[in-house]
Amino acid sequence: MQYYEALGLKPQLALGLDDLKKRFYERSRQWHPDRFSRAEPAQQQQALDTTALLNDAFRTLRDPISRAEYFLKQNQIELSKEAPPELLEEVFELNMILDAVRDGGDPSQLTASREVFAGMLTQTDASLHALFESYDSRGDRATLREINDCLSRRRYISNLVRDVDKELSRDAHNPPRRGGETDSLGGPSPAPGPVR
Amino acid sequence: MAYSNKVLDHYNHPRNVGSLDKSDPNVGTGMVGAPECGDVMKLQVKVNPDTGVIEDAKFKTFGCGSAIASSSLATEWLRGKTVDEALEIKNTDIVNELSLPPVKIHCSVLAEDAIRAAIGDYKKKSESRPQVSTNA
Repeated sequence: MQYYEALGLKPQLALGLDDLKKRFYERSRQWHPDRFSRAEPAQQQQALDTTALLNDAFRTLRDPISRAEYFLKQNQIELSKEAPPELLEEVFELNMILDAVRDGGDPSQLTASREVFAGMLTQTDASLHALFESYDSRGDRATLREINDCLSRRRYISNLVRDVDKELSRDAHNPPRRGGETDSLGGPSPAPGPVR
Repeated sequence: MAYSNKVLDHYNHPRNVGSLDKSDPNVGTGMVGAPECGDVMKLQVKVNPDTGVIEDAKFKTFGCGSAIASSSLATEWLRGKTVDEALEIKNTDIVNELSLPPVKIHCSVLAEDAIRAAIGDYKKKSESRPQVSTNA
């Protein structure tokens, strides 16, 4: 796995951030393009390429989520797009509350829901970390698949928390609705024409 | 790329929004979602147990315009169909009717999944019914 190799690491899911930083800074200094300003063009290019690779590697590996996603992809596991079925009821309820708050309802209910989902996020992170360690010691694909499910669950929950935060901050500052018309259809869709 | 007129029509005037009594033995509930966009769709059917015909269908979808339009259209199509006919509705039918662009095809898949989940829930309920009446 290129990113691990670039930083002189053996591929593993649980990584210490301090060690990672140290390796990144050491190698970045060593390959800094300024040090190659008078070198052969081929070497200059190599310094540039290595620096770019080190940056990508560090950025990907320092975050446990992007690290795990990279790890799965490198192991030919496609990231899960299934919504965790056990969450749907709660997600639906949360959306009902969001709708009510947008229509002028009581935002305190939203704050309570946010805490529930933020708690789930913490829990998911803990299970993810346990799965990392379990994979590192056993190296089995079954654990990688569990990690995949865990990541999908986490993505879903963190999107929800983000939506709730957006709503809460709007409520707190009471600014004009951001986005204007294109926002009314929501989602990452290509901007539609004026809708309302 | 803009939404088609049919999508906008369903989005601005969604048909059959609402909910049915989940505990009613003749009501099947399907709840599906897509993690990438956070969409969640609830679709319910009320079936006449003697004829197997879907008498009512309701939905509530949190998601983009295409997801709302897909589920709105689905409920329109479901009404008056038998349970087995309902299972023949394909996401491609929805794509064609609403002229959904490729990036929005997953919305129609979600609607098809919701139909299947709702019918599946109804069937599960109706199969367990005779056992309930004889002995628990």
